[in-house]
Amino acid sequence: MVVYLRSGGKLRDRLKPDVDQYTRKFEIGGTPTLREILVAMDIPFALVAFGFSQGKVRRLDYRPSEGEVVTLQPPVAGG
Amino acid sequence: MYGYGGTIVRINLETGEIGRSPTPETFAREWLGARGFVAKTIYDEVPRDADPLGPENLFIIAPGVLTGSFAPCGSKVGFGCVSPLTNGHADSNMGGHLGPELKFAGYDMIVFERISPKPVYLFVDDDTIELRPAEQYWGMGSLDLEARMKKDLGEDFQIATIGPAGENGVAFACITHDFGRQAGRCGVGAVMGSKKIKAIAVRGTRSLPVHDLPGLTKHTYDIIQRTKTHPNMEPWQKYGTALFVSWANEHGCFPSRNFQTTVHEGWEGISGEKLAEEVLVTHKACFGCWMNCGKYSRARIPGKPDAYLEGPEYETIALCGGSCGMTDIHHVAYANYLCDNLGLDTMSGGNIVGFAMECFQRGIITQKDLEGHELRWGNIDDFEHFLRMIAARRGIGETFSHGTRAAAQKLGRGTIEFAEQAKGMEFSGYDTRWYSAQLLSYCTSDIGAHHNRSWAITADIELGQDTPVGKAPVVIYLQHIRPLFDTWPCCRLFWGELDVTPEEHAEAIKYLTGWAMTIEESMRVSEKIWNLTRAHYLERNGGPGRKHDVAPLRQLEERIPNGPAEGRKVGTENFEYMLNDYYANRGWDRDGNPTREVLELLGLKHAADNLEKRGLLGKPIPGGIPKVRGQKLKPKAM
Repeated sequence: MVVYLRSGGKLRDRLKPDVDQYTRKFEIGGTPTLREILVAMDIPFALVAFGFSQGKVRRLDYRPSEGEVVTLQPPVAGG
Repeated sequence: MYGYGGTIVRINLETGEIGRSPTPETFAREWLGARGFVAKTIYDEVPRDADPLGPENLFIIAPGVLTGSFAPCGSKVGFGCVSPLTNGHADSNMGGHLGPELKFAGYDMIVFERISPKPVYLFVDDDTIELRPAEQYWGMGSLDLEARMKKDLGEDFQIATIGPAGENGVAFACITHDFGRQAGRCGVGAVMGSKKIKAIAVRGTRSLPVHDLPGLTKHTYDIIQRTKTHPNMEPWQKYGTALFVSWANEHGCFPSRNFQTTVHEGWEGISGEKLAEEVLVTHKACFGCWMNCGKYSRARIPGKPDAYLEGPEYETIALCGGSCGMTDIHHVAYANYLCDNLGLDTMSGGNIVGFAMECFQRGIITQKDLEGHELRWGNIDDFEHFLRMIAARRGIGETFSHGTRAAAQKLGRGTIEFAEQAKGMEFSGYDTRWYSAQLLSYCTSDIGAHHNRSWAITADIELGQDTPVGKAPVVIYLQHIRPLFDTWPCCRLFWGELDVTPEEHAEAIKYLTGWAMTIEESMRVSEKIWNLTRAHYLERNGGPGRKHDVAPLRQLEERIPNGPAEGRKVGTENFEYMLNDYYANRGWDRDGNPTREVLELLGLKHAADNLEKRGLLGKPIPGGIPKVRGQKLKPKAM
């Protein structure tokens, strides 16, 4: 399946965007969870606080659907 | 001079005399504003033995070069003094609209000297500056007073207030503005109250003089267009920092029950999603911001009146929530409201109540101390009763009103071992036993434990959570770049979350002022301030520096009992390793004292001379100080 992942900041460096400045198209077999996708991309999942798509927070056990665009939100420095 | 209001005001509260002088351009360029203006003025003018709540302390309000611009989010203003919590330099910044209003009225700094014989409030309306009677307001809650003054003076005045806690000199009292923005930390509200200043009301109608307005407009417009569609904007706008609660629990840094452990049972009930579902009323933004990270909320608890507040954000959820054993977002929101209206920092307040709850758990304080009440984990009524005792400095509330360290020193019985603080100021909402760089950040901070000075959690993840190696240079870099946002000042969220670079902020200064100011020059100012406040702290508190950079025993040697970070602790040996590395990378000696070489390099010869006179100057470092002090985190190669 193909999933589109987006992020900014340091996570973007790890994503290596290839669609636009924030977005990476990633192809992976099966219907993995976000956590499994991050492992496949070699992104430490500790660097991702949660996913966000269609206006909702997605925990790392979320399974994106084919073609879904998911934003990866890094941990933030409180405030 | 472009980019600044143009005038510095000095007010002698004893005599009522109000003096004005032009802001020197050299002063503005050398110190930029807010934290910089405060550091320089406090260092030069406050006697080293001045009581923080006495007449010789100064109370300073200062915007800065980026305040009042859209460069972006130029909402911030700094408050400063000598802190009653740490007995060192204090600066605390606030968002909202007060800072820009002061700039538009034409002012770059207001310095209050001495103590007023009666309660007053500062009234500023462009050229008009008056000390007006405030007896009719004395005793009112912060939020209640702002609403009242908006009615009395008009909606177009920006108001900042203290609550009863500030009036009573509670060491962690804060200043509130815009119904929920605070200058929260360091006890700046207590110093404002010690001078009998109940409120500040400002209206400014002038334009800010800008060197290159078309350039600034285009620069800002480009940033707006880019950040509007940034992938991280939408979750920020929807949830604010509260969304971090889940991550912190899943990764072993959320404080539960006074940092006894790092995963909080029932955290889902106080998560960002719960906030959005149950208490959120609307979003709120500061001046010049389109992120709207503020969350205006309503807490509903049966038997209590509805409480409206801004928040709770991550820190309040962590400290008034997790650290006090709460699992209901309404209770956390209500606790936030109580702190705001009483005029107490939610971070220190939550931390201190959590500490007291553990004292109660251990039988060190009892119902007899608590006027017949208990202090149970997660109980909002117990929380409220005890918080009011602190705000009034009543009974045992008086002991806790001086902060966790002072309370532990008075209570004895080993309580200092679970008082989570550094230099007398309470930890922010992160347990550090699996995050040693964060512990180093807290313990070497000039104002005590505050994540705003350095948030190193990601550095710990990138560099390895179980090693002390490589952490110190990154902490130093963060201690320069993060407080730079308190110096300019402007909100750091656009940098931290939306990829607006520090270079772009420095470029905005160029358009505003006409100065060819690089980011390197700004960072140098920040490093200079860091060393100045270090010197100031040593001069006031004695040395060596190392004896003050101490960590709580719980963080060093008590293993986390459960959860994802089970078994972790930092360890004394690792901490000492990091301190040695930190001092070496700072150009300080092994005792933690700044050396003449680094101070003179930064233009602080007078600070070096002062330290030398007191026997506190760092010994020269063989081979010299590092050429570069601090290093940006480089993510590990994939």
